[in-house]
Amino acid sequence: MSLRVIGLGSPHGDDAIGLAVARRLAREGLPPQVELRTCERPGVDLLDALAGAGAAVLVDAVRSGSTPGRVEEIDPLALREGAGLSSHGLGVAEALALGRVLRRLPAWLRVVGIEIATTRGDGLTPPVAAAVGPACERVRALVAAWRSEQAPGPG
Amino acid sequence: MQVESLARVEGRGALHLTVDDGRVTDLRLEIYEPPRFFEGFLRGRGAAELSDLVARICGICPVAYQMCALQAVERAFEVTLHPELRALRRLYACGEWLESHLLHLLFLAAPDYLGLDDAIALARVHPAELERGLRLRALGHRLVEILGGRSTHPVGTCIGGFTRLPRRRELRELAGELAAALPEAEALLRFLAALPLPRRPRELELVALRHPGEYPMNEGRIVSSSGLDLDAAEFDAAFVESQVRHSTALHCRRREGGGSYLVGPLARVALNAGHLPPGAAAALASLAPRLPAPDPGASLLARGIEVMAALEEARRIAATVDPPAEPAAAWAPRAAAAHAAVEAPRGLLYMRVETDAQGLLQQVRIVPPTSQNQARIEDDLRELAPELLALPAEAAQRACEMAIRCYDPCISCSSHFLRLTVERRGAR
Repeated sequence: MSLRVIGLGSPHGDDAIGLAVARRLAREGLPPQVELRTCERPGVDLLDALAGAGAAVLVDAVRSGSTPGRVEEIDPLALREGAGLSSHGLGVAEALALGRVLRRLPAWLRVVGIEIATTRGDGLTPPVAAAVGPACERVRALVAAWRSEQAPGPG
Repeated sequence: MQVESLARVEGRGALHLTVDDGRVTDLRLEIYEPPRFFEGFLRGRGAAELSDLVARICGICPVAYQMCALQAVERAFEVTLHPELRALRRLYACGEWLESHLLHLLFLAAPDYLGLDDAIALARVHPAELERGLRLRALGHRLVEILGGRSTHPVGTCIGGFTRLPRRRELRELAGELAAALPEAEALLRFLAALPLPRRPRELELVALRHPGEYPMNEGRIVSSSGLDLDAAEFDAAFVESQVRHSTALHCRRREGGGSYLVGPLARVALNAGHLPPGAAAALASLAPRLPAPDPGASLLARGIEVMAALEEARRIAATVDPPAEPAAAWAPRAAAAHAAVEAPRGLLYMRVETDAQGLLQQVRIVPPTSQNQARIEDDLRELAPELLALPAEAAQRACEMAIRCYDPCISCSSHFLRLTVERRGAR
């Protein structure tokens, strides 16, 4: 059984945070059963990126009105349709809703959201850039939690 | 009446209707995406950068932009492509057609005809159709990935060919999967043909590329149902772009007569039926009674036929192509001006590039398919308006959106979600 970590995002401003987290994780390395991917068109492509995965952690930019740079685990079931940042008619929430209907979602799915300030400009704004480290730590903690769930229990 | 936004199209737009005493006096498809100034910032860049830069114009059809840019530059620099590289570029285009058409058909358009809100609702009613669509689309995705290096904003092409080539074995394996998927494409077309599509045949001018030996994708002359037959270099002789106040996208019309025209799958199928691969040709023959005249409402069927065509072509190429040792031809810059036209999934895409002796771009002109279809969409809505006005507000908006979605508009490409405003003046 393996776990897939997927960084979602676009090159626009802070929306690149999911990709930046994936890059940092790739550089620092992850345990052997963990596979790292990125997805720049998180509509239907997200379902392709999730295909065959038994467990996954998604890392994505969010805008909830909270402080930019805040890292939070989001309940994938609570994502509101239409809340995605994608202009492509189908965002992350829709893709996950579709995946749920088609029974294509991994049984174990977690979403790490990083509050962002803007989707304009080139590169992350300072508070969001500062969140790359904490977001990576959050992903590692989820990976560790998943691994301990996978470990054979006592007796 | 004011309605918030047109969903399930690419980019941002709005539709404004003014009705005086029950008569439509003004109709404007407004595109208010900020202009993107692509043509401006490309000036002074190296010609070798052009294909990677224009790939950013569209997240759905980057390959078409790359193919058009490369062919214009290759014409300018007089580069001749190895025939096997030419075949691989066609395979690359097949991948994008599959991705784009399947996204449109199942995720953006099909829910309309079943009275459903979106693909999620469609998945509840027809999960097998959605699954099939996802499987077919994934094949297109893989084709773009193995030739473009990655599937989003691919970077694998360059002047003279590709930066790296897939291995023969990889292609042969894929050919097997593509062949196995053909019955799935046939089943998809049966599903589409069973949808209650509106019948609205129109008198309209169809414009597409035509190639002497194959269904047009990356190459061909520009032809039309009224008898045009031009090289890409003569684009301006037949078509004229103009600025309209209500849109950041330019409008295209026929120079002669000023009429609108249609580009895209419906035009391609009608003008190139003789070059469809066997399975797609048979499918067209079986649907012929449904397509007696150009009918934008039936564009889904044309797209479904092209899914079959793209699969068949991709299979043929993947099974036979022999990737050469050199992934790209050598080239040297020249001062020149050159034109190219390709068939993007949504229709004809034209570019003109001008380079200096160092190979720097002096001027780039890009005419995307959606700006060519924009005047046609407005005409279509104008013809539809009397029917629309008889409907309750919500149904009217839905009908407008459906009519617009038939053209699979990519508004972010052409400018540079839609709001529908109906201003009713006088008595109803």
